[in-house]
Amino acid sequence: MGYGTERVTGRPAFLRGGGRLPAAAFRIAQAVLTAFAASVLVWALMPLAPGDPAERVLLARGVQDPTATEIEAARIALGLDRSLVTQFVSWLGDLLRGDLGQSFTSRLPVWQEIMERLPATFLLLSLALVVSTVVSLILALVAVAYRDRWPDRIVRLYTQIGAALPTFVFALLALTFLVVGLGMGRVLSEPTFKAALIPAFIIGLDRGASWTQLLRAGLLEAMASGYAEVARARGATERRILLRHALPNAILPFLTAIGVSVGALIGGAPLIEAIFSWPGLGAYVLEALAARNYPAIQGFVLIAALSYVTAALVVDLIALILDPRLRERLP
Amino acid sequence: MTLLNPTRPTPLEAPVDRSVLRCLWHHRAGRAGALLGLALLAFATIGLAWTPHPPDLPDYANALKPPSLTHPFGTDATGRDIFSRIMDGAHRSIGAALAVLGAIFGIGLVVGTLAGLAGGLLDAVLMRLADIAMNLPGLVLAFAVLGLLGPGFVNLLIALIAADWAWYARLARSMALDARGRPHVIAARLAGIPRRRIVMGHVLPGVAAQVGIVASLALGSTIGAISGFSFLGLGVQPPHAEWGALLAESRLYVPIAPWLLLGPATLIFLSVLAANLVGNALRDLAAPEAR
Repeated sequence: MGYGTERVTGRPAFLRGGGRLPAAAFRIAQAVLTAFAASVLVWALMPLAPGDPAERVLLARGVQDPTATEIEAARIALGLDRSLVTQFVSWLGDLLRGDLGQSFTSRLPVWQEIMERLPATFLLLSLALVVSTVVSLILALVAVAYRDRWPDRIVRLYTQIGAALPTFVFALLALTFLVVGLGMGRVLSEPTFKAALIPAFIIGLDRGASWTQLLRAGLLEAMASGYAEVARARGATERRILLRHALPNAILPFLTAIGVSVGALIGGAPLIEAIFSWPGLGAYVLEALAARNYPAIQGFVLIAALSYVTAALVVDLIALILDPRLRERLP
Repeated sequence: MTLLNPTRPTPLEAPVDRSVLRCLWHHRAGRAGALLGLALLAFATIGLAWTPHPPDLPDYANALKPPSLTHPFGTDATGRDIFSRIMDGAHRSIGAALAVLGAIFGIGLVVGTLAGLAGGLLDAVLMRLADIAMNLPGLVLAFAVLGLLGPGFVNLLIALIAADWAWYARLARSMALDARGRPHVIAARLAGIPRRRIVMGHVLPGVAAQVGIVASLALGSTIGAISGFSFLGLGVQPPHAEWGALLAESRLYVPIAPWLLLGPATLIFLSVLAANLVGNALRDLAAPEAR
C-alpha cells in the first residue's frame, strides 16, 4: 500500500506518488463532498419541519387560516408537489446562484440579510481566534520552559479555571465586573474593529485555556522524545530544543484543534453575541429561531457548515505544507 | 471534539474494572473531582425535596436583597431566594447533562458496536448517517434541531443528543473492530463460546470503558451547553429554575444587583470543574503513558 507501488498504475501524472499537489487536490475534493453532504442536511430541515410546508409558508406570509385550495395552489406555486429529489436539485441550483430563499418575517432574501450580518461575526470570531492562538502559544511555551515552577503553576491554574468556565459565563462575569464595573468600555456598540477588541479578548482568553492545555501537553511529550534527547546529548540548550525541535512537532495537532474549534466558535456565536449585544449572524439566528423562520435558520446552518469545512480544509492544507510525511498518505 | 484526537490512541485493555473507583481515589485531582461531584449530586438530590425558601414563590417585600445569612446569594426581582432557586434548578442542570451523556453513550455504544460487528449494508448505512451528522459542528447541529422542534427542555436534550451521538458511534465502531482481533476475543472464539456471549462478555465491556471515558470528558461541556441554551431561553422555560436561565434572569438587573450572577455562575463553574477533574483523571488512568 506504500506509494511506491502506485507509481506503476496508470494514474495521471499529477495523482501519482506523494506530493503536495495531489494530496491537496484530494483534500479539496473531500471538502467539496463534505460541503455537499452538509447542504443535503440543511435542505432536509425544510421537509423535516413539523406541519405542511406549503401551509407554513402561507402562515408566514400573513395569510390567516388558509383554505385547502389556497394551500394546494401554494404547493404547486412553490414546487412542493414535485418529488423530493427534484425539489432538492432545484434548491441546490438556487443555492449555487446565491439564492437561499425569502425570509418568512422580513420577506427579504435570506442571502442579503446574512451578508449584512456576516462581517460583524467574522470580525469578532477571527479576532477571538487570533487572541486565543497568541495567548495559548505564549503561555504553553512559558509553562514548558519553566516546568513545575511558579510560571507553570499559574498557567495550569489558568487552564483549569478557563476550561471549567463556559465561555458565556466567563464573558458575562468579565463584562459585568471588569468592563462595565471598571468603566473600560461601553457594552452596546457598532460592530467596528475597536468595539470588537474587548469582546474578542474575553472570548479568546477563555478559549485559549483548553488550547494551552493541549499545546503544553504536546510540548512536554516532544521534550521527552528521542530527538529531544539526541539534541540534548549534542549540547543544545533547552531553549533551542523547545523552540526548534519541540514546537514544530507539537504545532500540528494544535493546528488541527484550532480548525475544529472554529466550529465550536461559530456554534457558540449566538450565545456570545447575545451577551455582547453584537449585531451579527448569531443574533440573527436567535431571532429566526424565535419566529420559526426556517429559511433564515437554514442560512445560518449552511454558513456555519461552510465555514467549518473551510477552516478544516485550510488547517489541513497548512499541515500538508508543514509536514512532508502527510503528503505520502494518499488513500 | 478534540477529545477524539486520533493521534493519541488509548489502549483497549485499560485498567477500567472493579478497581476503577479505587484508582480514582488514589488520583489526587480525581479524588477532589469525585468528592466535589458527589457533593453537587447530593445538593441536587436534596434540592428535589427541600429548599430553605420556596423557590417559585414571590416575596415582593424582599426583592433584590444583597447576599446575607438568610439569602446567601441574594434575592431576585420578585424576592425569590436565589440559593433556593439554584438548589431547585440543580437537578435540571446536572441531571440533564447526565441524561444527555447517558443517552449518547448508549446510542453510540449500540450503533457503533452493531455497525462494526455486523459490517455490510447496516454498517454502511449507519456510518454514512454518522458522517452526515459529523459534518456540522455539534452546537450548530443543535441549533438546527432546536429550529425544527422549537425551544423547550426536552427538545434541547434531543438536540444535544442528535449533535454528538455520531462521534461516539464512530469511536465505538473502531473500538469494536479493534477488539475483534484481540487475543482474548480470538481465544474465546476458538474455545467455542457462542457469538452472543463473546460480544456481551468480551467485546462490549472494553468498548464501553473507552467510550465511557470519552463521554466523561464531555460532561463538562455538556453542562455548559445546557446552561448556555437555557440562558438563551431555548431550554428550560420559566418559571422553572435552571442555572443558565437564572443567569439570564439576573442579567436584567446587573446594573443594580450584579451579585445575582455570582451564585449560578459559581455552581456552573464547580460542576464543570468536577466533571473535568474526574474525566481527566479517568483518561490518565486509562493511558498513563500519555500523561
